[in-house]
Amino acid sequence: MELKVNQDNCLGCGVCVVACPVNVSISPEVSGGHGSLGEDVIMMVENGFIKLFNEDKCEKCGTCQMFCPVDAIWLE
Amino acid sequence: MPKHIVSGLKYLASIELEKKGLTQQKIADELEIDRSTVSHYLNGRNLSWNSIDVAKTMTQLCPKDFLILTNVLFKNTKKTRKIISICQKKEFEAEISDSCIGCGLCVDLCLMEAVSLDSLKANISSIECCGCLICQESCPTSSIRILEVNNDREYQRS
Amino acid sequence: MIANTKEVSDKNFNIKRSAEEIRNLSFKDHVCIGCGICESTCPVSAIILDDVGAIVRTNSPNAKLSINEDECVLCGMCSGVCPADALIFSIDSQPISKISTYPKYDAYAEIDDDKCIYCQKCEIACPREAITIARSLPERSKLVTGEIDIDDETCVYCGICEEMCPADAIDIDRTPESESINVDKNKCVYCLVCKKSCPVTAIKASCRICSYGDYDINMEDAVTKGSSFIDDELCIKCGWCEGVCPTDAAKVKKPFEGTLTIHQDKCTVCGTCVDICPCDVLSFPKSSKSGEIVSNVAKDEQYCIKCGACAKACPVEAIEVQITNVDYTPTKSKSWIKKFEALKN
Repeated sequence: MELKVNQDNCLGCGVCVVACPVNVSISPEVSGGHGSLGEDVIMMVENGFIKLFNEDKCEKCGTCQMFCPVDAIWLE
Repeated sequence: MPKHIVSGLKYLASIELEKKGLTQQKIADELEIDRSTVSHYLNGRNLSWNSIDVAKTMTQLCPKDFLILTNVLFKNTKKTRKIISICQKKEFEAEISDSCIGCGLCVDLCLMEAVSLDSLKANISSIECCGCLICQESCPTSSIRILEVNNDREYQRS
Repeated sequence: MIANTKEVSDKNFNIKRSAEEIRNLSFKDHVCIGCGICESTCPVSAIILDDVGAIVRTNSPNAKLSINEDECVLCGMCSGVCPADALIFSIDSQPISKISTYPKYDAYAEIDDDKCIYCQKCEIACPREAITIARSLPERSKLVTGEIDIDDETCVYCGICEEMCPADAIDIDRTPESESINVDKNKCVYCLVCKKSCPVTAIKASCRICSYGDYDINMEDAVTKGSSFIDDELCIKCGWCEGVCPTDAAKVKKPFEGTLTIHQDKCTVCGTCVDICPCDVLSFPKSSKSGEIVSNVAKDEQYCIKCGACAKACPVEAIEVQITNVDYTPTKSKSWIKKFEALKN
């Protein structure tokens, strides 16, 4: 399975960034709702849209997909 | 011509069986041919000596080639088994290591029906084994070693 | 030439090799718990466990397992070690669990019908919905005795008793000129509510239990009868039935012993383990009062089968499962013993 995003659907809410367990363990400040301080997390919101930075770090748990309100991020 | 080589192999088998003291009728029954054909073979009549040469050469090939060529010519594994068991004079023994998982692939692949499973482990009968190494080559866990038995009863690695 | 054939239907598959004997490996996705024991056991690396966390949580069309049928040699080891019986290997239609030369887990779950009181607690607790408790209740009329009689002359068919009756035993037809009242004595519990509520005192009724006690009730008629059924295909021997049974009727023996460790500091509360656990062992604890800080994930280890599915699915390696003992039936095959022993880590 691969992590996919669709920026056309994305609201830029950042729920996936915060919910992602790998993001949180890489950069604990995202669990507080802040953006990550570095670019070593899996995904971040950039200019209002979700963007994948390190999809190879994805462990495929499906948490982002469960929380995304608009099907803008998913595993396939 | 394939059928002439088949006859050549049957001729060689007849000679071997005669050496063991079988009557012509017994030889005919063993090889599933007419008694009169056996008689012709043993009396050296109506034979293509060229085909017999080819057949002889086949018996001297490596065991796998001999087996597979014979099976292609006969298109019948039961008859192939008969010819090979009579004409393959080398003896083989198998060593099965404890890594055998009992998948039975060797059982299914062995044309000579030499392999059976005993308590999830392959068991290869020296009497039937023709040394073709098909089992050894296809064993997923490399658990089979077929050894050729020399005349002085010492093992030689195949 | 000997070759395997593979049939796929939905997420399930069948791999077959037909020669002297027919060897068949079948996989049922809905039974698979995603532990990955088959993947690590397969001697020819033919099995690949997909991303079970995502599959379970996102209704993915993917199957949890895939097998390369050209690699598979149909040895049956995956079936032997599968703790959920999602992989069934059979030789000439005989599953290897029924062939004594093959080892299998010494594990079971059973309900003793002599002790079972058919309370259905196990059926409700079973995380796999593998238990069915069928029960037939005693007839209510056999548990009460009494008399009831309605005087048609006095009755005005007002319908009050019909509305009041808690057992729905009274039926009144209030059509003018063809009125009638009827009491179903199989339903009546002689509570006397009708008698007390009748505005014209048309009902005469008495309850014998009150005056005579229980002795004229045949207690054999008061027994709830039933039967229990455990679906072996779904049961994973987690022990919930045994844990909730009030009469010790359910007995479970698990295949593994071991430990389940949660590293709360690594856990990021994503819930993958909670969703994937086949035994309802893991949960998010609730704080009992405001401001109380609870642990990230709680475990009820009593019901853990140490399958390791949670540890495998955890995206941040916050869970460790260790198997310290594996119970399996004896076999002469050294390689099979080695694989069962290798489950201990």
